[in-house]
Amino acid sequence: MSVVAHLPHRTLSLADEEASSPPAMELTGRRRMSAAERSLAETIYQEFRADPRHEEFVLGCLNCGECTTGCPAARFYDFSPREMLQIAANGDATTLWDALQEKIWSCCQCYTCNMRCRFGNDIAGIISVMRELSVRHGVESTRRTLAPFGRSLTLLMTVGTQVSSDMIQPDFFRDWGPFATGSDKAWDVSPEIMRKAIPIDVLQTTRSAWEVSVQTSLELFRIYEETGVLDMLRGLDPDLTEMLVDIIEERREEFREARETHRARLETMRGPVATFQG
Amino acid sequence: MLSASEIRKVMEERTQHQKGTGKKVVDVREEMERLEEKGELLIHRIRPENRPVPMQTLFGWTKRIPTDRLWHHKSCGQCGNIPGYPSALLWIMNETGRTYLNEPHQTSCTAWNYHGTATSNPVALAAVAARNFHRAYETDHFPLIHCGTSFGDYKEMRKLLVENADVRHKVRAILRKMGRDLVLPEEIVHYSEWVQAMAPEIVARKKFDLGPVVATVHEPCHYYKMIPEDAIYDDRVYGGQRPAVPTGILLALGARVADYSTWYDCCGFGFRHILSEREFSRSFANLRKIRPMVEEAHADVAITSDTGCVTTLDKSQWIGKAHGQAYMLPVLADVQLAALAMGAHPYKIVQVHWHAAPVDRLLEKMGIDGAAAKAEFLEYLQALKSGRAPELLHTPHEEIEQYFAINKGQVLPEEGTGASPPTTEPPAGVGRALP
Repeated sequence: MSVVAHLPHRTLSLADEEASSPPAMELTGRRRMSAAERSLAETIYQEFRADPRHEEFVLGCLNCGECTTGCPAARFYDFSPREMLQIAANGDATTLWDALQEKIWSCCQCYTCNMRCRFGNDIAGIISVMRELSVRHGVESTRRTLAPFGRSLTLLMTVGTQVSSDMIQPDFFRDWGPFATGSDKAWDVSPEIMRKAIPIDVLQTTRSAWEVSVQTSLELFRIYEETGVLDMLRGLDPDLTEMLVDIIEERREEFREARETHRARLETMRGPVATFQG
Repeated sequence: MLSASEIRKVMEERTQHQKGTGKKVVDVREEMERLEEKGELLIHRIRPENRPVPMQTLFGWTKRIPTDRLWHHKSCGQCGNIPGYPSALLWIMNETGRTYLNEPHQTSCTAWNYHGTATSNPVALAAVAARNFHRAYETDHFPLIHCGTSFGDYKEMRKLLVENADVRHKVRAILRKMGRDLVLPEEIVHYSEWVQAMAPEIVARKKFDLGPVVATVHEPCHYYKMIPEDAIYDDRVYGGQRPAVPTGILLALGARVADYSTWYDCCGFGFRHILSEREFSRSFANLRKIRPMVEEAHADVAITSDTGCVTTLDKSQWIGKAHGQAYMLPVLADVQLAALAMGAHPYKIVQVHWHAAPVDRLLEKMGIDGAAAKAEFLEYLQALKSGRAPELLHTPHEEIEQYFAINKGQVLPEEGTGASPPTTEPPAGVGRALP
């Protein structure tokens, strides 16, 4: 009974908790939050609960644990989809904030939990909502978690493919073994020749998964601008975002020049190719 | 793990619970028809020239799989580091006389951005899906989705666009700014469904026997765990209790498909994990997937039908040597194995050299002379080094297509002015046999 009495509970307000700072909380791993963090945690929590997807994705939970039983991440991380769902359904700003620090990034987004849940909760979906909020508000731990993905993000934002063969560098992927990049060193053939040996012309590049036309990448960037993705990314990494804007501006210029070069041919066509201005 | 019967029950219960009104699971295609009548969207319909083959989905609904005149929605992971995956598919289409367009005017679904790093949102994902759908529509080729995640994402986005008027209106407004409109395909079709629909024609062209080969199947999560009602099932495959793909083509080709205890587990890809937390991906792949496949099922090959699964199961094995787990079980996509059985060149077409686990023993079991094929390929590489033009599966694209998604003129022609310039050459991106 005395142990239970000292366990952290969720009935106090954030300010009360911070003021009392019960030793039991710190012993159980509860982190202390700065005033700025507390304020951000409250904002995120309010937005989380107001998101229309919350009502749609979080339907109820008996704590049966079916979701966690089938969860790949639960086998290797301090992570449980059941816990994430409980936080989504019954948590407060502090528990949500704690989850944002690390746990939400353990999820594999395999949807096994969704498939096993008798209540029909969209657990993978509600974790994505938590992640979105964390990115949008530039939560520091999220910045660190996503720091290695600058190259993938650049590719996805500018040409819409997330992988290129030149990303698979042998030094970084040593655990993948000597054949990870598509050739044996003894073959003495460059990566460019290995790509040329693929019998599909648009795949014969090392810089993206396939060659993407300029119009297509400009249309994609228009989507990112119109849907707030660019602003979202700006909150996470302003430098990267400015670099992306520069890259796209160059591609717009390239597109305008190409319109002049190919004017005669384009005038015979209609549809997006003729109306899209970049 | 849940069988198809259990999944149906869960889905019915959850739908009732979501609405609290005893509502039944609904077929999104019916609502699409109503929205088209109201002028809110267009349906990209499967037509006779698409030569559809009927299949059954989870609830017994008919899903027509188009087999001809297809628009390749490529996968970034496949094209980036498993290029034999798309080339095997295009090769089979050429061999079976199917037409297609393979263009540079396509983005990926960008769902990696969402499921991996959360740097997107549903409206953006839906707009990207709709942009690619419209591009396929204006070329009058039906979209065929290569990637399992893209397939799952596009099923979700189609449902979202149908059920959520706000998202639909926002997406339509964005599309109109780029001269496009909201078009949803009658069916979201995964390439493995095409392979299943083409099984009789593939088997008819079989040159190598799969009889001695024991295959284990990894069922890609995003094929059947996202929008489960849209996966195809067949009573002849696991009694209809697991998805029909990719197992169906293996059975049709005569392989011995062996079961293992963790068939339902994910591969360990995890999106960001495969790049930045590979200790998780490789541990999960080796311990939960590859080890049971080898020790329980004594597999000669692991077959799957999604980008991340081939990557994770294949590339994670080499490091297993450090723990005395040198399984090195070959991992291929269904379509790669089918192409090999049909006599495709293991290196030039199936590009097996991009796989970390060697396939030599598998080729030997199938009766394919892998050593001779490798020698021929090495010679070909040297010829490429010397400046020889590469062999291609389809006509190359024009220079103008580096910039513009030129209208092929099939659906939106400039009436009376000739949208497509007259030409005697087949359009770029249309399949042809290798010399």
